[in-house]
Amino acid sequence: MLKFAGILLILFAGTMIGFLQASRYAARPRQIRELLHALQRLETEISYGQTHLPEALRRISELVPRPLSSMFSSISYSLSGNSAGSGETVRECWERAINVHWPATAMKKAEKEAVLRLGSTLGGSGREDQLKHIRLTMIQLQAEESSAREDQHRYEKLSRSLGMLGAALVVILMI
Amino acid sequence: MPQPLMELFPSSLRFVLEQVPAVAREELEEIRIRENRPLEISYGSRYSFVREDGTLTDQHREAFVPSKELCRALLERVTNHSIYAVEEELRRGYVTVPGGHRIGLAGRTVLDKGLVSHLRDIAGFNVRIARARIGFASQVLPGLLDFKARTIRHTLIVSPPQQGKTTLIRDLARCLSLGDWGHPAAKEWGSRKVGIVDERSEIAASERGVPTFDLGPRCDVLDACPKAEGIMMMVRSLSPEIIIVDEIGRPEDAEAINEAIHAGVRVLATAHATDISDVFARPVLAKLASDGVFGSYVFLSRVGGKVEHRIISAEEALQETSRTYSRTIGATPRDAPWETKKPAAMNGSTTASTTLVTVKARSMPVIRSPNPLEARGFDDA
Repeated sequence: MLKFAGILLILFAGTMIGFLQASRYAARPRQIRELLHALQRLETEISYGQTHLPEALRRISELVPRPLSSMFSSISYSLSGNSAGSGETVRECWERAINVHWPATAMKKAEKEAVLRLGSTLGGSGREDQLKHIRLTMIQLQAEESSAREDQHRYEKLSRSLGMLGAALVVILMI
Repeated sequence: MPQPLMELFPSSLRFVLEQVPAVAREELEEIRIRENRPLEISYGSRYSFVREDGTLTDQHREAFVPSKELCRALLERVTNHSIYAVEEELRRGYVTVPGGHRIGLAGRTVLDKGLVSHLRDIAGFNVRIARARIGFASQVLPGLLDFKARTIRHTLIVSPPQQGKTTLIRDLARCLSLGDWGHPAAKEWGSRKVGIVDERSEIAASERGVPTFDLGPRCDVLDACPKAEGIMMMVRSLSPEIIIVDEIGRPEDAEAINEAIHAGVRVLATAHATDISDVFARPVLAKLASDGVFGSYVFLSRVGGKVEHRIISAEEALQETSRTYSRTIGATPRDAPWETKKPAAMNGSTTASTTLVTVKARSMPVIRSPNPLEARGFDDA
């Protein structure tokens, strides 16, 4: 009886690990897409509205879903006057927020570097220049997105079945 | 010093400025921050350098020296981390921050087709502190009243920079839209609809369209709007009884003011000049003045810490200038100086241009910037 319960638990855990892994593969292209949407929004705010950066980032944080929204809102908060803790530049605030919030997302290092590079130029130049930088980042992210989609096709189902089969293997070995 | 202004400064600079003696802080007019050069403040018509511990000194060698990083952070903060949103202001060389304080910028200009397109490498900041002096206008306003029309005359306020023009005009706006005429005969007049075209955002210091200074209850503000267009927009759509504009001087301003005057609106404007002869020396102002547009002129001058004003009416102004003009015309012989001077000037200019033409194009030597470590000054010595 006890053995049976253990087998069930192992099978359940293995399956869950597989599903978790698969959902990470599925989440990565989705989050890159959301990030792209956010940057597109930022582009509009800068080119058309000439909204100031803290305000623009705050609006974006209200539009994008969870892991990204907290990232943007924390950048916006540390830039806005009421935190006024120090003489920080956009680059410092941006880097700090990205480093804190990145582990919560499913995105990988390549995307992170592209976004960090954007942060070092954001707000520091004229409109045309800003738009160029944002577009450059978007192109990089689009490349990452397509490779992330390939990975998803290749590994999503695989990791799901691998989780369950791995658990089954453990069970067989233990019996 | 107002607290919101302090929040603009990066922490290291704020720390220094917060320790400035209270006497100087009360009367603070300007804070001058120059990269790798001593920090200077001016207060009560005098200036001092500031040491790192906030005490004042006349010796520039002892003063606190803002670093490059500090200036970069300051620039980001005064532009609210969005240089792209203040491109137009950078082209004119200043930004206005919440509270109506104007920050003049010095740096390297970037030209586009011969016109200044923006500033880069910004290394000098002049923070001009705006103050509301409630009650300032009540000394001036009684002298500007037009008892027949039961309102004010068209008025030009004239002074050199830094004498309180904007402060005065701000308080006049408040008095007019409040109906506080400061004269016993004008008690029954009621208030007026006041329209302010605030091109530099200095008069009202609007934040998201709402003025942060007290301008009375009946005031409309067109924020950051070019004066000439703004005056026309006001007349067309906001039906003001009095229009207030700051620092007129361009031909299109004069045209718009003429339009407004003939639309039955009273105009209150300011301009940079020292005295009435200066007004007549500036082409646009001279045209307006000789057309008899303005009914009175207010001259401001600062003696010690106090602002003095002098009001003269249009007739007096015209008399004064015509007298000086007639005297100069009468005193000079009609032929000699003009005739002899002109050819000389012509000769000079032609020789100059020929020499310019004969200069051959050749490769310029490489210009090296001085050793950056040396230029950094004494802060890390």
